[in-house]
Amino acid sequence: MRWARAAACRFRLALVALLFALVALVAPARAHDVANELRISAFVRAEGGRLNMVVRVPLELLLNVDLPKQGNGYIDLGRVADAFPRALNATAKGIELFADGERLALADGEARIALPSDKSFASYEQAISAVRGERLPPDTAVYWNQGYFDAVLTYPVRSARDSLVIDFHVARGLRDRLKMDLRYITPEAEVRAFEIVTGSGRVALDPRWYQAASTFIGSGFRHVLGGADHLLFLLCLILPFRRVGWPLVGVVTAFTVSHTITLIAAAHGFVPRGDWFPPLVETLIAASILYMAIENVLRPNLRWRWLLTSLFGLVHGFGFSFSLSNELQFAGSHLLLSLLAFNVGIELGQLLVLALVWPLLVLALTRARGAERIVVAVVSGFVGHAAWHWMLERFEVLSAADLPPLDAGLLAQVATVVLIALAVAMLLQALRQRAPSVASAPQARRIEPSPDQG
Amino acid sequence: MKQRFLVSGAVVTALFAGLISWQFPTEARRDDKPRFVVDADWPKPLPNNWLVGQVAGIAVDRHDRIWIVQRAGSLTTDEAGAEPRFPLDPAVPATRTGARSDCCYAAPAVLVFNRDGKLLKSWGGPADPGFLTTKCVAPTCQWPTNEHGIYVDHMDYVYIAGNGGANQQLLKFTNDGNFVYQIGVAGAFTGGRSNDTNGDPNGRPLLGQPADMEVDPATNELYIADGYQNKRVLVVDAHTGLYKRHWGAYGNVPDDSPPGAYDPNAPAAKQFRNPVHCVRIADDGLVYVCDRVNNRYQVFKKDGTFVREAFLEKDTLGNGSMWDIDLSPDRHQSHLYNADGENNMLWIFDRASDRVINTVGRNGRSAGQFHWVHNLAVDSKGNIYTAEVDTGKRAQKFVPRGRGHGHGHGHDDD
Repeated sequence: MRWARAAACRFRLALVALLFALVALVAPARAHDVANELRISAFVRAEGGRLNMVVRVPLELLLNVDLPKQGNGYIDLGRVADAFPRALNATAKGIELFADGERLALADGEARIALPSDKSFASYEQAISAVRGERLPPDTAVYWNQGYFDAVLTYPVRSARDSLVIDFHVARGLRDRLKMDLRYITPEAEVRAFEIVTGSGRVALDPRWYQAASTFIGSGFRHVLGGADHLLFLLCLILPFRRVGWPLVGVVTAFTVSHTITLIAAAHGFVPRGDWFPPLVETLIAASILYMAIENVLRPNLRWRWLLTSLFGLVHGFGFSFSLSNELQFAGSHLLLSLLAFNVGIELGQLLVLALVWPLLVLALTRARGAERIVVAVVSGFVGHAAWHWMLERFEVLSAADLPPLDAGLLAQVATVVLIALAVAMLLQALRQRAPSVASAPQARRIEPSPDQG
Repeated sequence: MKQRFLVSGAVVTALFAGLISWQFPTEARRDDKPRFVVDADWPKPLPNNWLVGQVAGIAVDRHDRIWIVQRAGSLTTDEAGAEPRFPLDPAVPATRTGARSDCCYAAPAVLVFNRDGKLLKSWGGPADPGFLTTKCVAPTCQWPTNEHGIYVDHMDYVYIAGNGGANQQLLKFTNDGNFVYQIGVAGAFTGGRSNDTNGDPNGRPLLGQPADMEVDPATNELYIADGYQNKRVLVVDAHTGLYKRHWGAYGNVPDDSPPGAYDPNAPAAKQFRNPVHCVRIADDGLVYVCDRVNNRYQVFKKDGTFVREAFLEKDTLGNGSMWDIDLSPDRHQSHLYNADGENNMLWIFDRASDRVINTVGRNGRSAGQFHWVHNLAVDSKGNIYTAEVDTGKRAQKFVPRGRGHGHGHGHDDD
């Protein structure tokens, strides 16, 4: 009797813990508005034994340097050059460069004041010749916070092939209100564009493969932990499985393989470009969670779950690609590796969550002898409820988006996609018939209380 | 057997797919008309229980920030119900002392938003505490009683004019509202002074209720649409405010004699009618001027040489059809947008042919509709921002849709 009460108590505890975890996941992420945005533009290029950084800093960021002024706050262009060494040092301090792990020391600097309308920072060559070129006429009325401080900072380097790392932390307190548009010109004259938020740590400009891999494993890991929808999908997926066995592995593998495919396709630009596509994918992701939840409540069909999962995985892969698109800038020349590393990060994140949730789940299910279906249904109900609201919200965004015009061209595109899918399906079926043991579906398992657990 | 059938089926299907995508390239989808849809979420609600009155000027600066100048003085006593005194102008005897409701306080005259509609900064006018006693102090800085037109130049300086009864001045400020200079002087004359070059106390030209302005970054010259009393385009040095040149319709010397009412059946007027309501400089050096009541824009070179003119809805009486002009941001600035506050819509012209190719909006008070649409401005992404006066009292944002927007700019994506 006492044993039964303790078991019931533990069961309730496990259930409550599971629900709490769900609520925490579903709680809306707080969006933060970006107020006035400041941007620093920069080019970095190593040539021979020197590295040049050409940088454009809005004057309002140089408040502490106290450039000489005249009248009611106009920059005194006749005397401003006296303050350039201070401004150069302040800039070099806020944008630190490292080569092969060693901090570079500023060797030389040139500077000028530019108008807000100056457009010479379109390319490295233009920018550097502008900074070294003509000065503004001394009678130009540049107000102290309306214009730019342009500079060329020169550093000695051992070779242009040193592994370069940048640490941008000007006015850290501004956080994402201050960004740097950085273009790194490789020794092969390839231009790599970066957008770095102030205080976001060190960024490798030409990452080695292991740097790119670790960056992207980390970002995949963080992404999956921050994305409640993927986790809830995963939860719905595994909810009816009681044991770590081939069926479960098959399902998780199917999900992984298929989202890897679309993620790589998206990174190579094989996605529709319209405004409608992201909300469509987001809506479908919510719908996939809802479907899984409903299936769990009604009658989980575990035999075909791997196939359905791989279809949904394709959609989730596009979802991952949206968050990745901003970060691919850090991949350097290791695009494919970075994509795979991102996937590895996602898998690691999923495994971590599984490791945390699985014991709770097993505990809840085994303690609920005879009522497993009810536990699965209750948890699925909560998840499905959240997914339902997400789906409605996202559909609203989708319906506001500009849909592609329904014409022959669109129909042709749709027909092409359907036909390719059909061809792939036929090939798969042919393969399956040739080697039935390899590609056969995981065996069906019904949910039954298993005496060997608990 | 079945396996071979499947493989050949897959090959045939794939061939079909290839054939279709070859036959229908994506570019086959075309819709040449530029279209716009309203973004009803722009701007975001104002802080501090603020309310705007008539929005009498709108501009986009180099950083894609959207500037409006609004008339706090146009709020009615109920609209400014939280204000402890009405009217706001201390020079006018109070008709009400003590707040009458929780809504609302008058917003400062100048409000700056980002493309998402978030308020970035605000200053100016009688509703900005201390502004008229510390930053813009009469008589050197005479804040207009009825604000009209705003522009932010290539050095981030801000220009504001006015068309209230005695508003014969144009003011220049720094980006944060510190007074730089004033051109003209309030209440200097009645009638017109369209050929004055240095009549104000600082040797700058007299203005007649100036309406709009723009700075040519190449020369740092300030072009002024002058205005509700004068009938000219005036060019001054933007640094000093001193006179450089001016001209009237067709590049003629302006003539202040009253032209009588507009008659759609009469030959085109040889002079501008009041108000000369807008001036806009294209990247190719052409200067567009709104001759509002004459229902036309005239195009000049920067030296005032007449190039051509285009008419719009010539039968429009009342306030006329040509209120304000801005250009699309593609490389050739291929489209010209006009705000028409009498027929209450925007008109899209093909700039090369001066022909109307589409319209935006209609009369009404819902999102995307207009009442007295007074000004418009375009950002670098091609979004159009509009400002409405009379009982319109709002600013709106329109986002480009469709494929007819020329090359070289993307849609708003952040």
